[in-house]
Amino acid sequence: MDFIFSQLAGFGSAFVALVVDPLTYAHLIISVFLGITFGALPGLTATLAVTILTGFFGNKIPLDYSLIALLGAYVGAIYGGSYPSILLNIPGTAASAATAMDGHPLAKAGRGGEALGLTTTASFIGTLIGTVALLVFVWVLLLISQNIASPEKALLALFGILLSGTLMSEDLVIKGWISGLIGLAMAMVGLDPLLSEPRYTFGWSYMLSGFQVVPVLMGAFAVPQIIDGMRHMNVGQMVALHGRILPNLASVRRYMPTISRSGVIGTGVGALPGVGEDVAGWVSYGVGKTVSKEGDKFGKGSLEGLLSSETANNACIGGALIPLLVLGIPGSPPAAALMGAFKINNVIPGPTIDPDIILRVVAIMVLASFTMFILGLFTAKFFIKILRIPQTVFLPIVMVLTAIGSFSVGGGINDLYLMLGVGFVAYFMNMMKYPIAPLVIGVILGGLFDETFRRSLFLSDGSLGVFVSRPGAAVLLALNIALIAAQIPMLKLGFARLRGKEV
Amino acid sequence: MNSPTEQEILRARDFWGAIVLFFLSVFFLWRTSFIPLFGQNRAGVSGADWYNSAALVPFGIFGALLVLSLVLMNISIKAGGARLALTRIGIGWNRSEALRFSTLALILFFYIVGLVPRVDFIIGSGLLITALIFGYHGGRSDRMILVTLIVAIAGLYAFAAHLPRSEWKAHDDDWVALALWFGLTLWVLATNRKDRVARAIPIIAILAPTLLVLAMAFGFRQNVPNRSGLLFSQIEYHYFVNIKPLWSR
Repeated sequence: MDFIFSQLAGFGSAFVALVVDPLTYAHLIISVFLGITFGALPGLTATLAVTILTGFFGNKIPLDYSLIALLGAYVGAIYGGSYPSILLNIPGTAASAATAMDGHPLAKAGRGGEALGLTTTASFIGTLIGTVALLVFVWVLLLISQNIASPEKALLALFGILLSGTLMSEDLVIKGWISGLIGLAMAMVGLDPLLSEPRYTFGWSYMLSGFQVVPVLMGAFAVPQIIDGMRHMNVGQMVALHGRILPNLASVRRYMPTISRSGVIGTGVGALPGVGEDVAGWVSYGVGKTVSKEGDKFGKGSLEGLLSSETANNACIGGALIPLLVLGIPGSPPAAALMGAFKINNVIPGPTIDPDIILRVVAIMVLASFTMFILGLFTAKFFIKILRIPQTVFLPIVMVLTAIGSFSVGGGINDLYLMLGVGFVAYFMNMMKYPIAPLVIGVILGGLFDETFRRSLFLSDGSLGVFVSRPGAAVLLALNIALIAAQIPMLKLGFARLRGKEV
Repeated sequence: MNSPTEQEILRARDFWGAIVLFFLSVFFLWRTSFIPLFGQNRAGVSGADWYNSAALVPFGIFGALLVLSLVLMNISIKAGGARLALTRIGIGWNRSEALRFSTLALILFFYIVGLVPRVDFIIGSGLLITALIFGYHGGRSDRMILVTLIVAIAGLYAFAAHLPRSEWKAHDDDWVALALWFGLTLWVLATNRKDRVARAIPIIAILAPTLLVLAMAFGFRQNVPNRSGLLFSQIEYHYFVNIKPLWSR
């Protein structure tokens, strides 16, 4: 009980400190507004919103304001993706792909206003559920993580990369793994963290410090999006909006079990390393379809279907911040961008993080979700209007934003060359259906993996037993092996036969 | 012959992807062999043991990539990817898409390599925005080629005339880029008077980079490219000499 009270007291003081500062509102309103705009414009993503803002909110702006801006944009963008999903049947972000399944049929049936009102409310409640989970579980995990040593950290980093590769792959799972390994390989460039041995620098002094995270993020997420989006496309036929965009409290009360379940699913999926809001939306939608009494109406304009995906993708945000803050392993691609911002500000997420930062993150999340709710209800008409702007008009501005953002974080013009190179590679990888998120997670976790893996071996005089002698490490090793084994055709076949015999 | 499915096209491309990955893995395994693995001496200092070597993890990564490239090739061959690999589809050749990608790649290349370091950011970015919107909005290939040529001329001139960093302050490349931007804008307005997007191009091209660079330099106090550029140097001078003293006194 004392623990809960101390948590609430800590959260309360962080919340009050933010509420009494007028600059909080300026940062919050602008960033949530920008986030919704990014989410609403098809072709721009939540990851891109957070990445681009990272360039602006570098180390010269106080960390609190940087966090307000980045988390505000994150919350806003995930919600904003629902506008084009419902009105155009084009998901604004991958996270809202499942939203289109029921949102668009509802809009076509003249219930667009109701759908948007419910989406706004569900996103708000979902964000709050994720935030409450963040407040509670982050401390439990922080206590556990005090016992985590190098072997567990190395295996956890590997697990994050493998899991992200497995779940984010649209095509073959090995493409996700290849993508993660390419990211790991990129992280090997520069001086190695233990012996300062130069690796793959090819005599270029810029490479000695390794690849910087922000240009890699900009290259991986922005450049392919710009290249792919710069084509002539007619803006889809927008469904006329009927009815006022208001939260329908009766429907919210009726579907509260669905909202709660989706919030929990979203938070859980978000807490898995490297798995993002899109997976959360689809998993929750799939579960909803299976357990709901009106499962047969999913995909034909079901309010329950709409709420399942939309609550989960916003709840995922709080979940994704749990592994980021506790272990330094991003729970989703936008959280990876957030990790870049932490690094620029010399904050190292993980077991040694300042607990005040966690409380401030929770307070910011609550304020951001309120701001999103209010902006969603009162400025929806504006966001609907911007859906008409063609991609060929706003993507060139994004290119300029990307260039100046990437330049400003420190490395100068060399960072721009790196951004462009990574961008071209990522474009071809996208074309061949390699997921990009595992690559970025690999770049971010590569240094941690290299350092902790070798340190583990160093402490055990080269004995690989160090990875099985500790219970936590043994469990993580088993998970890594299971993840790989589950994709080997012979083993798959063996399991299928075993299952057949049991039946 | 039936046209190949999306899956078959993907497997054909995977064949090429696997080959590229295979050779890259072999190359980097060879490069990794330069890093001491078994505690060799370096400049008379004994290196670390194998388990602490800087080569250990890279060997694992590139070894795994090599194995996965072979697995990918196996999947591709079994799915008929190798058979399709040398066809137009396998190579991924689509004339209009190839033109769109290569012109865009050239524009981005000349912008980042030629214009951003050497030309005033507002001028270079204004030219880029004008070129991209005009060139790609209607999906017309003649426009794509025209705008690529214009950006390439500006970028190449800046790159060739002022290659070393010591010459990046020169302004002749700024004037060349400004003239090309002005000329292109006039062309856009003259040939597309009735098009709303075309009429909006000059406004977007001037406002977006100007507001961005001002916000970045004076609002967020971050570093911006080419502070000695033709326009930005004037803006910075007047900001510090005439404007900032108004509230700094």
